[in-house]
Amino acid sequence: MSEKPLNRFHQPIAQPGRRLLHHVPLRFVRKKVSGGGQRSVNQEIPLIPFIDFLLCIVLFLLASFSASGELPIDKNVKLPNAENVLDMTDAPMVAVTGTQILVDGTPAGNTRAIVEANRLQRVDELFNVLKNKRELWKQLNPGKEFGGVVVLQVDRKVEALVVKSVFQTAAFAGYPNVSFMVGRLGQQGG
Amino acid sequence: MAGIDTGGGHGGKRSTNHEIPLIPFIDFLLCLVAFLLVTAVWSQMARINADARVPGPPKDEPPEEIKKEKQLHVEMKGESKFQLIWKEGNTVVNTIDVDRKAVPVGNEGDIRFPDLAKKIAEEWNQNGSHRGDLKDDKKTDQAILHTDNSTPFSDVVAVIDAIYTPKRDCSVCERGKTIKMPGFNVTFSVN
Repeated sequence: MSEKPLNRFHQPIAQPGRRLLHHVPLRFVRKKVSGGGQRSVNQEIPLIPFIDFLLCIVLFLLASFSASGELPIDKNVKLPNAENVLDMTDAPMVAVTGTQILVDGTPAGNTRAIVEANRLQRVDELFNVLKNKRELWKQLNPGKEFGGVVVLQVDRKVEALVVKSVFQTAAFAGYPNVSFMVGRLGQQGG
Repeated sequence: MAGIDTGGGHGGKRSTNHEIPLIPFIDFLLCLVAFLLVTAVWSQMARINADARVPGPPKDEPPEEIKKEKQLHVEMKGESKFQLIWKEGNTVVNTIDVDRKAVPVGNEGDIRFPDLAKKIAEEWNQNGSHRGDLKDDKKTDQAILHTDNSTPFSDVVAVIDAIYTPKRDCSVCERGKTIKMPGFNVTFSVN
């Protein structure tokens, strides 16, 4: 009768053969990870240049920060673009869309009436609003010379008749120095 | 990490070495950058001028003699050409025809008139009365734009842009530097 074979935990003592990394203790792993005499794999993140970079961005953004926000452009107005332009100036804004005229967001006339009349005319509502603005400015700034500057935001499809009527009305109301707001094309101009 | 090391801390006293907390500082800077980027205004808006005061802003001193100056009338009423007319008062001095070649710019439907711009610049260099520095000569040559009532505003702006092509120096417009200003002042004809 043959003997029952021993299971794997009850093998007779024998000299072990060659085994891969059998003799490697855990210390070796630790040594390997920490560099093992070579360059360490631990890295210091260079925070100081990063902070310098952030500070530069902050200073640039602070320098270009505008507390007054974006120039108010009526959402119904698509402005044309031009090359030979001047920088924007602070002045009352008159928006001229396909249907209405707005002064600083407040309705001040209808463009359809001008188109239907088919002749150059003074826009009475706009005239009154601009005249009141001018008188208010003079009351707030006594003794100062009034510049008479107004900025027109005119939609690119508006007809020249409407533009000329608004231009003339602004001049009659004491704003002869009219500027048209446009997008900037290229880098020319003063 | 950044710190202050004074080499002390011996003899039972509290160490004076300190680690500067850089991580909260970076967090603060990043918040500041995010806020400023969100509120930043990247405006590309500009203006082109048109003055209703013809022949220009009033001067303090009265004019010594009334002299009729040349004015450039730009007619954009034809479909195929522009007409440049130099006038002294009601007298026509010279008339030049320029082909109306519109060159599209960008994809927003903008057009330019480079031939007109070139011709106007040539004419101003030959016939302009006020081409010196604005410091010495505050008056500006006058251009009067004649247009159909039905012309779209984008075409009007393209022609005004062409009229503003010739430039003259201005050493008093901005402190410390000389800038270029348009050689013409544009206004509209009511006819």
